[in-house]
Amino acid sequence: MRAYRTLTHRTLVVSAILAVSLLAPASAMASKRLVIAGSTSMLPLVEKLAVAYHKEFHKIPAPKVEGGQTDIGIDDVASGRVDIGDASRDPIPGVDPSGLVFSKVARDGICVITNNSNPLANLSQETIQGIFTGNIRSWNEVPGATISGPIDLFDRENVSGTQDAFQNIFLGEALKISPSATQESSEGLEVNAVKAQTSAIGFVSFSATIYGGVHNVDYEGVPCTLPNAKSGQYGGVRNFWMVTKGAPKGEAAKFIDWVTKPGNLTVRKIVSSEWIAIH
Amino acid sequence: MATVGLAPTPPSGSAIARPPRERTGSWPVIDRIAYGLCWAVGIGLCLIALAIVLFMFVKGIAYLRPSLLLESPAPSAIQSESGGFFDPIVGSLIVAAIGIAIAAPVGIALATWLSEYRRPTWLARTVESAIEMIAGVPSVVLAIFGLLIFSQRFLGFLSETDAGGAVSGKSFFAAGAVMSLLALPLVVGATREGLEQLSGRMREASYALGRTRSTTARRVLLPAIRPDIATGIALGMGRIIGDTAIITIVLGLTLTNEGVGRTPLISTLRGSGSTLTSYIYNNSPAGEGSAPQKAYAAAFVLLLIVLALNGLVTWLTGRGGQSEGGMLSRAFRLIPYMPDPSR
Amino acid sequence: MDRHPLTPEPPRGRKRRWATARTDQRVELTLGALAVAALVLIGAMLVTVLIKAWPSFSHNGLSWFGPGGDIETQFRAMAQNKALPGHSILYFRAWPLIWATVLTTGSAVLIALLVSTLAAIFLTEFAPMRVRQVLDPVIRLLAGVPSVIYGLIGILVIAPYLDDHLIGTARRESVSYVVQLNGADVMTASLVLTVMILPIMVAITAGALASVPASWREGSLALGANRWRTIWRVSLRTARPAIVAATVLATARALGEAVMLAMLGGGRSFAPNLLDGLTALFEPVRPLAAAIFQNSEGLTIAPLGHTVYAIGAVLLVSAAMLSLAGWAAKQQFNRYGLRG
Repeated sequence: MRAYRTLTHRTLVVSAILAVSLLAPASAMASKRLVIAGSTSMLPLVEKLAVAYHKEFHKIPAPKVEGGQTDIGIDDVASGRVDIGDASRDPIPGVDPSGLVFSKVARDGICVITNNSNPLANLSQETIQGIFTGNIRSWNEVPGATISGPIDLFDRENVSGTQDAFQNIFLGEALKISPSATQESSEGLEVNAVKAQTSAIGFVSFSATIYGGVHNVDYEGVPCTLPNAKSGQYGGVRNFWMVTKGAPKGEAAKFIDWVTKPGNLTVRKIVSSEWIAIH
Repeated sequence: MATVGLAPTPPSGSAIARPPRERTGSWPVIDRIAYGLCWAVGIGLCLIALAIVLFMFVKGIAYLRPSLLLESPAPSAIQSESGGFFDPIVGSLIVAAIGIAIAAPVGIALATWLSEYRRPTWLARTVESAIEMIAGVPSVVLAIFGLLIFSQRFLGFLSETDAGGAVSGKSFFAAGAVMSLLALPLVVGATREGLEQLSGRMREASYALGRTRSTTARRVLLPAIRPDIATGIALGMGRIIGDTAIITIVLGLTLTNEGVGRTPLISTLRGSGSTLTSYIYNNSPAGEGSAPQKAYAAAFVLLLIVLALNGLVTWLTGRGGQSEGGMLSRAFRLIPYMPDPSR
Repeated sequence: MDRHPLTPEPPRGRKRRWATARTDQRVELTLGALAVAALVLIGAMLVTVLIKAWPSFSHNGLSWFGPGGDIETQFRAMAQNKALPGHSILYFRAWPLIWATVLTTGSAVLIALLVSTLAAIFLTEFAPMRVRQVLDPVIRLLAGVPSVIYGLIGILVIAPYLDDHLIGTARRESVSYVVQLNGADVMTASLVLTVMILPIMVAITAGALASVPASWREGSLALGANRWRTIWRVSLRTARPAIVAATVLATARALGEAVMLAMLGGGRSFAPNLLDGLTALFEPVRPLAAAIFQNSEGLTIAPLGHTVYAIGAVLLVSAAMLSLAGWAAKQQFNRYGLRG
């Protein structure tokens, strides 16, 4: 009788050990894939690039792409938590952790957007500065506005690269966006917010406006479209960077080289669809 | 004043013997106001409750199509191309399964120990207080604690490790493990309730026959309270399925359930995904998707699942073992153990 | 011998085995070890959260709980690793979050207390049988509805209605230099939170009222008190411990509610200024748990992580204190000899 119980116990113990030990080699055998995190503006682009990369090199698993916004991506790559960071703003010496290498992958246009029931034709830089710093608080003071009432300002969160880029390009070094603006944590949320409020105004990457739902406002008389951004006529254009800790190495180097190689037609086609290719 | 005489016998099942209905016209004004208020609040509560339930049903039936239940979500801003919510449903079930798989045995074992052994007593009381405390901790705090634990390197096999060696700590394993903490107090509470209600003579008879405490517990007591255990598990599942905070923080949110590695079942559990709750959150105006129709449909499915679990609990408490007091008091006695089925 | 001589021999072979006293000892040890392990895990959680939270508390001292600037600005400084001028990188003043929690949880619990007592009285005393039969399962269903669904209804139905009809242009302009108003604000959040915690309070209170001994009520009625007086003076008094326990439970749930409040509280961590009068009702808030939820992506950045864990530590301690209060309330139960 004791033998039977011992037999059952032994079987249980051995199978438990087998099950657990299966996990260890399973995790070791699985080839690790690249993890890329950062800017939510770059998210659609890098996702498309990841899928295309895996399609071209079947053996390499598609990199995993996450959002989280630019600054968090930069911090993650500096501490080794992810392999590549996506940054939608230029590097800021002194603020960014040292030892990072930025590789430019594309350029992107930023559009100022308003709700569809307020199709503002044009905004000058001065008016934009007035609105976003909070000096102009009512639509009555904005020429061309079809509604009246207080302006609902939408900003991105402070860790957003888009916010940083917008601030540098449209507002300049000295001015800061009004703290009373509502901060959204991603491109999608910003679009949703402006779509939902008639008195809203905000800024997003051009690619986020493609599916409609919001109205693009001309900047200094130039419509916010891809051709205008490519030709340089539209002023609100910023860079997309991929960030690595030190020079890219290993899998990350392979990916970044593939993306930035001049003459890579696959990449060029993907980038040119909604962004500006650099080669 | 109405004559008392022969009071009508109360319908069976009601625990309250009622006097013949007294006319409120004879009451002082304050009492009449209070009476009116009670009625107003009562009817108001009825209306709000029915409004919520009916609204969700109407919207859900309007937007739910069978294809939604079978398609996986796809990344697209256009509603007709963004697929359904098959992966989130599977995700919810996986998380609930892992959570209960951990919470049920541990909970039953703990409850048995607390009820049958209880030595040393100071340890028993501390464990009781600890479990009560866990029941009261917000699930966000459990989530950030869970993230901390599972990001450690030695637990890297439970989630994804990236090429640089960092452990993400976000996977179905991790989420399920943290969820088990949510369900644990419910299972322990329900099992203890059941055990404490069992007549002492059951135990005495078993001991008289020469059985030890462990045999008694295993072969006599626990089988007798199977409905209570099942109730606890159902309540726990309800709470797990309804939670969003832990999912958002500990389950790496991806649209579809992406596995890690190539082993069939383990890869899904090590990978990230989404559940119905996170799908609803992401498709609401607070999240990226802004697809209210899909959100309503998913919310309707979630509500149906909760309804089914509730029905299960009601049926089980009706079948209860040696209860004194009937279904009503049993059900209500269990309520303190479900502090919030959802957070 | 560890078996009574008259008990039959346990069957041999592959049939079921009965445990001996030695096995029983082993089982007891194993279960005890499990209990200790559970305790260790919970203790580890407390200790880890407190350790990770300590830098934030030590840098800010007691003024961590006080006012002192915009929370979003403080989070930005931590995320960008650029300390605010004149302060350390861990500078944080949680008053807007704490005030938001006090406002939402406090108002929700107070309103729910009043409403649930009246509703429970209605349910047990005045409601016709058919109404009660419908309402019982409906209330139990509501108690189990996940908070995302409440948030969904709130953000798709209540918030836009409030935004379009109750917040006028004049009100918006009056605070536009500080904060933007939309339908997601402290009033929406508190209302929906009240509806969320109502079912459980009604259920517990109704259960307690139902278990008041019939003889007590009949005695009161026999002495000439009308039904309302009986309820007020006898039933409610008896059910008081249960009502207290229900309140503690509801407060714990309201405190821990993160998702719904994140959806409905508004986009900013703002401390509504009561001097604004009615407009304060429409100002956005972000209670403690919602703040953790919204900032959970930044956990890996050191100063932000410390701050978020500090907020978590505050919630943990409050949960522990509420547990204590609940235990104290249960002691009162036993005094009356009634089960809740």
